[in-house]
Amino acid sequence: MPASLELLRSIELFSTFTQEELEKIAPLVNPMKVMEGEILAGRGYRARTFFIVIKGNFMLSFENGKAITLHNKGDIMGWSTLVAPFQYRGTVIALTKGEVLTLPGQEFYLLLQSESVLSSKIMDEINSIIASRTPYHEA
Amino acid sequence: MGQLFLEFLSNTGFALADYRHFIMILIGIIFIYLGIAKHYEPLLLVPIGFGILVGNIPVFKGLGLGIYEDNSVLHYLYMGVTSGVYPPLIFLGIGALTDFSTMLARPMLMLLGAAAQMGIFLTFLGALALGFAPNEAAAIGIIGGADGPTAIFLTAKLAPHLIGPIAVAAYSYMALVPVIQPPIMKLLTSRKERLIRMEEPREVSKREKIIFPILGFLLCCFLAPAALPLLGMLFFGNLLKECVVAERLAQAARTSVIDTVTILLGLTVGASTQADVFLTPQSVGIFILGATAFGIATASGVIFAKIMNLFLKAKINPLLGAAGVSAVPDSARVVQMVGQAEDPNNFLLMHAMAPNISGVIGSAIGAGILWSFVG
Amino acid sequence: MYGLENISAHNGWAISLVGITIVFTGLTLLSLTIAQLHKILDLWENKDKYINNRNHKTLTSTPADVAPQPGMPAENLEDIHQYKLIVDRLEQPFSLPKLLDIAVKIGLERPHSTINKLLVKKIIVSDGKGYFIWKLQF
Repeated sequence: MPASLELLRSIELFSTFTQEELEKIAPLVNPMKVMEGEILAGRGYRARTFFIVIKGNFMLSFENGKAITLHNKGDIMGWSTLVAPFQYRGTVIALTKGEVLTLPGQEFYLLLQSESVLSSKIMDEINSIIASRTPYHEA
Repeated sequence: MGQLFLEFLSNTGFALADYRHFIMILIGIIFIYLGIAKHYEPLLLVPIGFGILVGNIPVFKGLGLGIYEDNSVLHYLYMGVTSGVYPPLIFLGIGALTDFSTMLARPMLMLLGAAAQMGIFLTFLGALALGFAPNEAAAIGIIGGADGPTAIFLTAKLAPHLIGPIAVAAYSYMALVPVIQPPIMKLLTSRKERLIRMEEPREVSKREKIIFPILGFLLCCFLAPAALPLLGMLFFGNLLKECVVAERLAQAARTSVIDTVTILLGLTVGASTQADVFLTPQSVGIFILGATAFGIATASGVIFAKIMNLFLKAKINPLLGAAGVSAVPDSARVVQMVGQAEDPNNFLLMHAMAPNISGVIGSAIGAGILWSFVG
Repeated sequence: MYGLENISAHNGWAISLVGITIVFTGLTLLSLTIAQLHKILDLWENKDKYINNRNHKTLTSTPADVAPQPGMPAENLEDIHQYKLIVDRLEQPFSLPKLLDIAVKIGLERPHSTINKLLVKKIIVSDGKGYFIWKLQF
């Protein structure tokens, strides 16, 4: 069942979205419960899903042994779904049980390609996250 | 030269084979297929399947090639089975792999593991009724424990001539857990019962987990000393795992030791199924009794869970009873699968591990008892 | 000999009955013992508290190996100790995935959520470069 507009509006990534933009993205977003220890994304695998944290705690680990932990609502994981070569740079593991919103990478990417304003808003946000995380996955 | 060529031809497998060899080779190929294509216990079925191929290449008796010839390489490897060395080593690895915490959190679920052992004793009676000798009947009954190493261990002690069919039956039924158990589970439970959710288990401290293998070993082996070789190694392996300071040994037990022994055990058990020894009416009887044993064990666990529910305030999901047969962790996975078919958000796996592991202990005790009574 | 005659001749009924009774007795005993184990351990670990309670004395704080962090319940001290032992064996600052990997391999209880607790309680903190530091002093 797709996520509600209220839920999407409460997430920082979508906070500047208009009602119309939220309605476009909402059908793609599905909530998913995760179990403690569940691996959501594996480093090196094809990046198929983009995740937004609703609740719970997660660890992103990189090949060099570095890691960051995410504990807040709105934290995102799996930005590689939107950036070539579309392979996860890190492994995402749930440290506790929780809930995430999932966006299928392919559809999300197509939506951004066809909606330039939407794309610009999201990519601005994601670019800042990429910039902040790049030092972690570089040796 | 022509004479030499004819002599060579008469020595080839083609000339020596009869239809029974081809039946066995077909069975071996089916085992390999089930392991590789269907993922049914591949770590067991692939070596056993290939072993069946190895054992059913017709060879000249007296050349020291067959597994039943005293001076053959296969015979030496097979001694690990006939002497009962391999099963305890596998139990060591299982102990080092197993987390007993769900069982420690809800010890009451252990009774389901005990109930499922009814299959062993009822099949023992059934085998006696069919005219098997008591030692053979005991070895056949243990198939109901759904524990390959235990079945091999007891058969090696009581009826070594039946190791081939009993081992193949035990491992086949273990591999077919996802096929055999669900219909019985569904038949014996209502949808409402299958929807029962279990309470989250309490957290178990490391200290409890370290003390348990020592306590469990002392208690079980004082009660049934004949279970010592199996349970001793199971609990020892678990102590290595839990004590943290012997991690290297635990790592060896749960990887190289168990893997090596599984290869040797699987291959030699497979090779022991030589057509002339294996394809007998007795083997057919063993297979039928084995399937019955497995069904009874599953049903006993489920029915006992329902009986327990008559007295419990917080009901348990009766599907958990099916995990009392000790096919670890397959029967626990089947419980999860059947439970989730009714309610996708019902996670029974960790709860099912409790009766599953107690089933291992229960079947080892059962084997010990049978050994002491009819050995 | 076949059928009931063979069962009776080889004492089958008695063996089965005694056998299943022993299996049940064994697992019931084990189950009852396990059910009491954590209570006994709890009693042993808090024996000072119980003795003091019985003597109606005012409770005084007992010296602990580890100074509990605010909000960290005493029962987690055992976890902290085990994780500290692992961290001490790692290169400093240490890799969090490596700590998790070792904790999983040696079978520590719920390693993911325990590590999360240590992070939330700031016993383990990020060095800002992707590695982590153990903050709690022994």
